[in-house]
Amino acid sequence: MTERLPTGMGAPVKLEQVTKRYGSVVAVNGVSLEIPGQKMVTLLGPSGCGKTTTLRIIAGLESISAGRIFIGDREVTHQPASQRPITMVFQSYALFPHLNVFENVAYGLRNLRVSQAEIRTAVSEALALVGLAGLEGRLPSQLSGGQQQRVALARALVMRPQVLLLDEPLSNLDAKLRKQVRQELRALQQRLGITGIYVTHDQSEALAVSDVIVVMRDGVVQQVGTPEELYTRPANAFVARFIGDANLVEADVRGGQVWVKGYQVPDPPGHKAGGRRTLMIRPEAISIRPAGETAAGATGDPGAGTGLPGRVIDSFYQGMSAEYLVDTDAGQLMVIDTHLDGPVLPPGTPVTLTFAPRGMYLLPEGEGADLAAAAS
Amino acid sequence: MSVHTVTHPSAVPATVHGRVGTPFWWALLILVGGLALPWSRQGVNVLAYDAARTGLWLLGQAWPVVTALVLAAALLFLGRQPLPSRTSGRVMLGLSTLGMALTVAQLFMRGEPFGLGAVVVFLGFLSIAGISLSYSGWLRVEPFAGAAILWLAVFIGVFILYPLGTMLATSVWVRGEFTLDVFRQTLRSPTFFLFENPWTEVSERRLAQWVGLAAGFAALAVQLVAHRRELGRHALRIAAWTLVSAACGYSLSALYTGFGALRNSVLLALSVGLVSTALGLSFALLAQRSRFPIRSLMGPFSTLSMITPPFVLGLAMIYMFGRQGLITNRLLGMNTTAFYGPLGVGVAQVLAFTPLAYLVLTGVVRSLDPAMEEAAQTLRASRWRLFHTVTWPLLRPGVANAFLLCVIESLADFGNPLILGGGVPFLPTEVFFAIEGRFNQNEAAVYGVILLFMTVGVFLLQHYWLRKASYVTVTGKPSSGHPSPLPGALEYPMVTAFVLWTLLGIMLYASVFSGSFVKLWGFNNTFTLEHYEALRTSGLGVFLDTARLAAIAAVPSALVGFLIAYVVGRLNFPGRSLLEFTSMLSFAVPGTVMGIGYVLAFNSGPLRLTGTELIIILAFVFRNMPVGIRSGLAALQQIDRSLEEASTTLRASNLTTLRRILFPLLVPAVISGLMFSFVRAMTAISQVIFLVTPSTNLATVLILSWVGHGSIGRGAALSCVLIAAMAVVVLLLNVVLHRTGRNAGRAITY
Ligand SMILES: Nc1ncnc2c1ncn2[C@@H]1O[C@H](COP(=O)(O)OP(=O)(O)OP(=O)(O)O)[C@@H](O)[C@H]1O
Ligand SMILES: [Mg+2]
Repeated sequence: MTERLPTGMGAPVKLEQVTKRYGSVVAVNGVSLEIPGQKMVTLLGPSGCGKTTTLRIIAGLESISAGRIFIGDREVTHQPASQRPITMVFQSYALFPHLNVFENVAYGLRNLRVSQAEIRTAVSEALALVGLAGLEGRLPSQLSGGQQQRVALARALVMRPQVLLLDEPLSNLDAKLRKQVRQELRALQQRLGITGIYVTHDQSEALAVSDVIVVMRDGVVQQVGTPEELYTRPANAFVARFIGDANLVEADVRGGQVWVKGYQVPDPPGHKAGGRRTLMIRPEAISIRPAGETAAGATGDPGAGTGLPGRVIDSFYQGMSAEYLVDTDAGQLMVIDTHLDGPVLPPGTPVTLTFAPRGMYLLPEGEGADLAAAAS
Repeated sequence: MSVHTVTHPSAVPATVHGRVGTPFWWALLILVGGLALPWSRQGVNVLAYDAARTGLWLLGQAWPVVTALVLAAALLFLGRQPLPSRTSGRVMLGLSTLGMALTVAQLFMRGEPFGLGAVVVFLGFLSIAGISLSYSGWLRVEPFAGAAILWLAVFIGVFILYPLGTMLATSVWVRGEFTLDVFRQTLRSPTFFLFENPWTEVSERRLAQWVGLAAGFAALAVQLVAHRRELGRHALRIAAWTLVSAACGYSLSALYTGFGALRNSVLLALSVGLVSTALGLSFALLAQRSRFPIRSLMGPFSTLSMITPPFVLGLAMIYMFGRQGLITNRLLGMNTTAFYGPLGVGVAQVLAFTPLAYLVLTGVVRSLDPAMEEAAQTLRASRWRLFHTVTWPLLRPGVANAFLLCVIESLADFGNPLILGGGVPFLPTEVFFAIEGRFNQNEAAVYGVILLFMTVGVFLLQHYWLRKASYVTVTGKPSSGHPSPLPGALEYPMVTAFVLWTLLGIMLYASVFSGSFVKLWGFNNTFTLEHYEALRTSGLGVFLDTARLAAIAAVPSALVGFLIAYVVGRLNFPGRSLLEFTSMLSFAVPGTVMGIGYVLAFNSGPLRLTGTELIIILAFVFRNMPVGIRSGLAALQQIDRSLEEASTTLRASNLTTLRRILFPLLVPAVISGLMFSFVRAMTAISQVIFLVTPSTNLATVLILSWVGHGSIGRGAALSCVLIAAMAVVVLLLNVVLHRTGRNAGRAITY
């Protein structure tokens, strides 16, 4: 059943149509995922969307109602947690309170019947790795929160798992420590070449640590991609709003041209099949100028002089930039003027908005219409 | 700190290749035990060796033995693989099931009581069956858990369900024929219940009807007034209340005017429940909200009532309020027997069960968050409204719980009615007298069935109805704010009640103590040590025997209890809720019922155990198991599940997790479970009174029989020895728990 544990080669993980029901609640609904090996993958989503459940399913701590799970090229669907090549860092750390730091870290190796000498070297190396050398004799209750977190990490790493699962491992730490530890975590994972699966509901944490982000909602995977892909090419309105700020407006696509209420938008990337579509625009990608003024250096642009007319409702001075809420025919838009070179426009100012192609994306057909509606 | 130094690539998988599977060892045990040990026995010594009954001897004559051993050999072969396939698991399951069947068949064909060999063989096959159930993939648990589940199922089946079933069967099967005659006769007999009393002029039935009608009308009137605004919406509720009140009025009147065991037991249980709960609630409130030092006084009393055999207070009542009682005779100059009968039994029971109610209710009272009361006060609630709308609704489930618990205890109590009953029938004593006096097993079974149904009914009520209604949340959050003090009008009567109760208790214990030092209480009050000296010849041996049996029984009680708690609380498998339900049910089985069940179930055939020490041990184990379950469940609740999950993801099997994580954390609970089982076994009477024989006598039974034969002084002396010994045990326990608790406490609160 269990084979020799690998030395540092993180295995890919694959879920096929995995469903988990708790009575009538569907916590995870037909999730199919391919998680590449040796990468840090984050499961991201709002509270209750099924992240923890998915993680526990991969660990084997939850049975599944349907579907199959592979780690490496082996199916593990019916393998109990104790035989899967994974380890896990729990949100509560779950350190064994009656065992000291050394014994906590050595616990898994003892279960593998590793010899005493090897255990000693492996444990002290693992503790050195997380910067805890010298604390072997302490009980968990005699450690600070950050130290406990590292013990939990060392306990998981010392097993040289193919896959390391982390369920909101930083949520018990204060903000400053959290930043530091997440960088260390990231560095460790890359150096050891393990596959890391990381659960969080904090998008900045996700963007900082992940190679790949899996966005979930109501037990369904919304999109899988690199942080950049998610930011620039969201699969739907939910992802667009969840990763960063986004304006969603209705657009008409006619003959390869995209129109927002009489403003022809400069060729946005995305899905350009004709019809009514949802256009995402990041607030930074909108330039704002008082109505009647021409955009500087915009001569020669076919769309120059045109733009979406609107009126400033609210403005916020942010030092280097200014944030505006602008009422237009396409709805209220959030605008961030990143190169503020004049006074902040006061509320009531009539303005013209123009969109830059880099911060726009046409969502696939049928995605997000509901959200655009729900947002207003 | 270079990364590639972390190389212990030799990390070996959890199940080391080259080791043999567990079924192999079980099969080996079957072969060795089955060949070397006797399959059956003649005498009462279960451990006796008898060469003519060993498997080796039987090989030539008994085909089931031969076949079973051949099966074991096959399993030895199959079980060698450490990780068998599903198919081989299924084959092993089939073989081991067949093995169990053959073992049972052999016992029945032989007709003699089982011997050690058969037990070993059966349990060996059972373990293999459990393990292979897991291998086969039919039971999604680990091999160890599969075996544990089967063991528990068989134990509960054989030692709880089977005896109760036998009792049920005996109540309707007389000499091989099904008949309801015994039921009918018993139910009609005046000892059970006499409704229409021919010697009174009024018709009790008519009276009960009038009372019922009156109660119904009264309830209807109250409900109509209360819901006058929305009669339509509450129609169903009003009707239900009316009917229930009418029925209650009718039954209470019938019980009150009637005669017999049913009447006495029910009225006694209701009044004892009411009084004990009221006292328990008062004391709990006092302990929490008054400067009166109740808590430090209640502690010793709870302990005392736990370590006191249930009938000792009855004995003390005789000293104080009996015909020659210190108070009734000496002080008041009466020659009264008023305290023999329901009154005396009631007083003794209230004394014994109030600590129980107190323990249940302190938890509830303590969990009332003072902040909540403060919140209510800031919302302009008056004191009475506060009590009426906030405090009481929160207390109500706990109060009902304490009441029902006391009702069950009172219904099941055997010792006090026996000593103080004064010839008045009660249900548990009628079970006893039917067997020991009238030699009518069927009648005893009928009484047992009735008693069982009543306690189980109350228990189910408590279990399902109250569990839903319980609002008490254990948040573990320290609540701020000070509980408001009790109003004086409440506090003073409560303190008075407490003082009286305490004085009575002290007086009773003191009287037993001094009674053991005088020649004959009431007649000749000269100091003497003769009772203690007499113990040396007859009592001490029995006392030590009892201690030995109780100690032996404590281990499996705690073990089985904790195993059930673990299996029920932490594993998931089909049949789990059934296991949970039956083991919970055993909380509600009165000792007398258990005792009669054992007498009826284990007195013949292969399972014959009558006269052995084993049957007493088993009775202790399965009666005290609930204590283990309860403390196991409570202790498990304190342990975060993620600890076990962490252990699992670190390649630990369930067994390893149990051994290395749960057990060390549970040690304090296990120790106290052991001690409580021991103490309960030492002070038990009802479940074993039927099971003792002159050669296997027990201290409590001996005391009871001495008291019955007039050697009250000697009984008091042995009671004192018993109480003192138990007090030492409990003190030791506290010291031990304090020690381990300090370490554990430091380790756990992080
Ligand atoms: N044991 C359970 N019984 C019933 N429902 C459950 C259980 N565990 C989880 N759920 C439900 O399954 C859904 C997903 O839960 P899950 O714990 O995976 O959420 P999550 O994404 O981790 O949320 P959070 O960020 O708040 O931790 C939720 O709706 C939750 O209510
Ligand atoms: Mg979660």
